[in-house]
Amino acid sequence: MTYIERDGGTTRDELVQRVALMEEMIAEGRQSTARYGWMFVLWGLTYFAAIAWTVYLPYTEWAWPACIAACSVVFGIVRSRQSCVEGQIDNLRRHSLDAVWQVIGGGIILYLIAVIASGHGKEPEYLAAVLFFNGLANGVSARILRWWPQGVAAAIWWGCGTTMLLFTTRTEILTLFLMATFFGMIVFGLYAMMLENHMSSMVPGEQQ
Amino acid sequence: MAEFEREDGVTRDNLVQRVALMEAMIAEGRQYTGHNAWIFVLWGLVDLTAWAWQNYSPHTGGPWAWPICLITGVVLTLAGKAMQKSDKGYSRNDVCSRVMGVWGMMGLAMGIYVACAILTHFSWQYSYVAALLMMLGMAHAISAMFLRWKMQGLVAAVYWAGGVAIFVCNSWRATNAIMLIEMGIVMVLFGLYAMWREPRGGGKQGACA
Repeated sequence: MTYIERDGGTTRDELVQRVALMEEMIAEGRQSTARYGWMFVLWGLTYFAAIAWTVYLPYTEWAWPACIAACSVVFGIVRSRQSCVEGQIDNLRRHSLDAVWQVIGGGIILYLIAVIASGHGKEPEYLAAVLFFNGLANGVSARILRWWPQGVAAAIWWGCGTTMLLFTTRTEILTLFLMATFFGMIVFGLYAMMLENHMSSMVPGEQQ
Repeated sequence: MAEFEREDGVTRDNLVQRVALMEAMIAEGRQYTGHNAWIFVLWGLVDLTAWAWQNYSPHTGGPWAWPICLITGVVLTLAGKAMQKSDKGYSRNDVCSRVMGVWGMMGLAMGIYVACAILTHFSWQYSYVAALLMMLGMAHAISAMFLRWKMQGLVAAVYWAGGVAIFVCNSWRATNAIMLIEMGIVMVLFGLYAMWREPRGGGKQGACA
């Protein structure tokens, strides 16, 4: 300990306090990601709906804008009600996770708007980029929360993105996109919801 | 204050301590970025070299320009980080770890994406080039939000604007120019700015490697 004290001016007590605070924040961050598992399921179903529209329904150019707009409205309403009922968990890690998802979500929307508005929507490879963006969000979140299941979700997104650059027919691209959405978003969201249920059924002292 | 204590057992002192710790971590996180800003400069130079090689000397291994320069960049980055780790004066805090996590994941995602695009010959598409800029912009924006650093937020906005501009301009000439400005000049300038800021943050003490 003397080494640490001499080196950075940090005492043992301060270090213990920092570690305890970090562990507490990680636990809170994981819990809140589990609490918001429904968001992954909602966005996964939105992707499925948009793709089904582009394949089976007319006015395909409206499929993505309409589905994303509808999902955003539902998302906003449910989230605001959830915040009212449960209150906000405020810690630095929670803010960090919000920042990650807000930034990457915003970036994806900006990218998609630019692709569609400039008429590049027919280049299917842009979808591979979207899968990589989703993988990046999950990867950063997994790294912050030290949570391997979310790391697996990131690997699924990146794996499907990589494969999409190798298999480039319309059917292959759609299949890969749906696979990534199903496993990386819907299954992960359901797992997070299950975890949340499990945690809320436990006595507070048992939660880790 | 008594209300805080009644609600969830958090005392005022505890809150003040937490806020102070968070502020200290954010300050250290900025210093961390400054301490590692040489990586931005290095990658800016790597991109500029590859760009110049491909455009001014396309007949001397032009198609290999990017793979060779990118691999050299990775080797130099790893060597530089290894040298920095041997420097004992730096500790690591939570915000630094998170910033490092963002850039680590961004590097991994971009590495896989670039390698696949080169191997499958998709690296000529506008959507590919724009996606690179968007990804870099995302990493800068997340880091800026972690560190509450306006300058880095501005850099993120510049990268995103470049990504959108590639689609809007819709020409290879413009895409080349945007790549040159963003990947080379903006990256080097931000790296130099962050390096210049670092000593003002109080030197080594409390920063992280």
